[in-house]
Amino acid sequence: MEPATLLPLGVSFDAFASLGFWLGVGVIAGTFTIFALGLQLNVGFTGIFNFGQAGFMAIGAYSMAILVTEEGVNFWLSLPIAIAITMVFGLIVGLPSLRLRTDYLAIATLAASEAIRLTTLNARELTNGSQGIFGFDTEFDDLSESIESLLISVGWSDPETLFPLFMIVWIVALLLTFGLWRLQKTPWGRVLRALREDEDAARALGKNAFAYKLQSLVMASALGAIAGFFLALNLKFVVPDEFLPNFTFIGFAILILGGLANYWGVAVGAIIFQTIFEGLRFLELPITEVQVSALRYILLGLVLIGLMAFRPQGLFGKREEMVLGE
Amino acid sequence: MSSAAALAHGSGASSIAPIFQAEGVVKKFGGINAVNEATMQVADGSITALIGPNGAGKTTFFNVITGFYRADGGTATFEGRRVLGRPPYLIARMGMVRTFQITKALARMSVLDNMLLAAPHQPGESLSGVLLRPGASRRREREVASKAEELLEVFNLTKLTDQYAGTLSGGQRKLLELSRALMAEPRFLLLDEPMAGINPTLGRRLLDHMQRLRSEDGVTFLFIEHDMEVVMNHSDRVVVMAQGTVIADGEPHEIRSDQKVIDAYLGGGSPDDGAESSSAATPRSHGEGGRVTERPR
Repeated sequence: MEPATLLPLGVSFDAFASLGFWLGVGVIAGTFTIFALGLQLNVGFTGIFNFGQAGFMAIGAYSMAILVTEEGVNFWLSLPIAIAITMVFGLIVGLPSLRLRTDYLAIATLAASEAIRLTTLNARELTNGSQGIFGFDTEFDDLSESIESLLISVGWSDPETLFPLFMIVWIVALLLTFGLWRLQKTPWGRVLRALREDEDAARALGKNAFAYKLQSLVMASALGAIAGFFLALNLKFVVPDEFLPNFTFIGFAILILGGLANYWGVAVGAIIFQTIFEGLRFLELPITEVQVSALRYILLGLVLIGLMAFRPQGLFGKREEMVLGE
Repeated sequence: MSSAAALAHGSGASSIAPIFQAEGVVKKFGGINAVNEATMQVADGSITALIGPNGAGKTTFFNVITGFYRADGGTATFEGRRVLGRPPYLIARMGMVRTFQITKALARMSVLDNMLLAAPHQPGESLSGVLLRPGASRRREREVASKAEELLEVFNLTKLTDQYAGTLSGGQRKLLELSRALMAEPRFLLLDEPMAGINPTLGRRLLDHMQRLRSEDGVTFLFIEHDMEVVMNHSDRVVVMAQGTVIADGEPHEIRSDQKVIDAYLGGGSPDDGAESSSAATPRSHGEGGRVTERPR
């Protein structure tokens, strides 16, 4: 392919002009948004360091895939069941670990997440191991196709196949963002913020800190499950490698980018992150593709370091909250 | 037992029903008994001071009876109901509300949110209430907001209503914490050094407000204080702790002349407690420095 514009660095901007690129970025960014909303609820608004979000995502995606392919459950019905299963797991992880101090909680949730991933890798009878599970999305494909034909009927001659998924993931992401934003403004949300500030003060004022933290974690696990559905629908299969702790770390990067304690910043952070991350693939350097993909992580790290140094509150966080938090 | 003797020695207390009673309360840290069989009672509607040298176990005692520390022995009842073994939030909901020696302002929340948070009976604090009773939640919020404004007025915090609590000065935080505790509708208020760091004028106002709450709403107070002028002039009863146990309990004038108290606190002081031993009858109130022994976890 002959790049139309060549900068000194060797970046081709061709890809940025294609709708396919943006839909690809958009679907993943939407998935990350839903995923990181859970982290925002936990970290930004409750002060609990959940490093196990990728594990909850795995439970959601695998529950859905197994229910559909093994148990013959209807795809749409499998979604609420998979969310419920994931919430039970959130409860199981939270009950023993939420009494721990912040840093130990982070380790405990990370360990739980890895335990889940290693189970999906090794419980082959249930999960098909590293081969993964396919063929759970026929009902979704039907919906996708009827949306496509609807688009054709309104005059889009050749709609992108990814467009329906893109549309649905963002409708869900924005609805969830709106819902959480509203919830944060209620007295319930105020108790969560009080826990983030000082748990003992909240307890001394009659708030059952543990119950609220548990609710926060269980809700985040449900958001993880929903993100898992979209991840699975985008890939069209589920494999254990998709649920590495890296996914959680990227979620945290998005949180920092968008700004802590701001739900709307999550979507913006996710879009910027994914655009940079995908866009960096088009760096044309005299190195191999594997090296380029490693370089992406290095550059991402540099961006995060720069952000921490010059704008620690992220794009939408409040500077004064950052200062007062110290 | 010396504490029992001290109780018997105190006059008048038995004539008024106690709102709070503690008996033989023990709290151990490793091999040390930070609270060692502390026994006391607080008369209903009284303003009771809890005094004693640093390391006497006053704050630890507070932490035990409000559920923040698990007791290693003894019993405590509030309005006849057991408190030891209950979690802090349930004790607070019973009407027994505390403040902390080191103030706990909720820094990244507004002063108003600090106040509103403390109000009980808010249906919007549960998810089911948020979804099913939004109207009741908003009504309660309005009710509580006007009460919060009144209290902020009393403590000169009105102009700070919308500021982050974290921007307040030490003294303002102390006042905020007290008014926040009052929002929780306490019947028994436990204050850990409420006067520390507050200027005399506001301190005066705080004491007046305590008197008014006691006479108008029947609120009972137990407060830890080092300023002997405040203790002697503004409390009905004084409980003295030393080395984890209650060594005396009586009216201020009785305490002033109690030989045990003079030896342990007002007069000589223990050799390891130099700061307190300087002045005789009125140990000065002092700042936050040097008090590392009683910090809650």
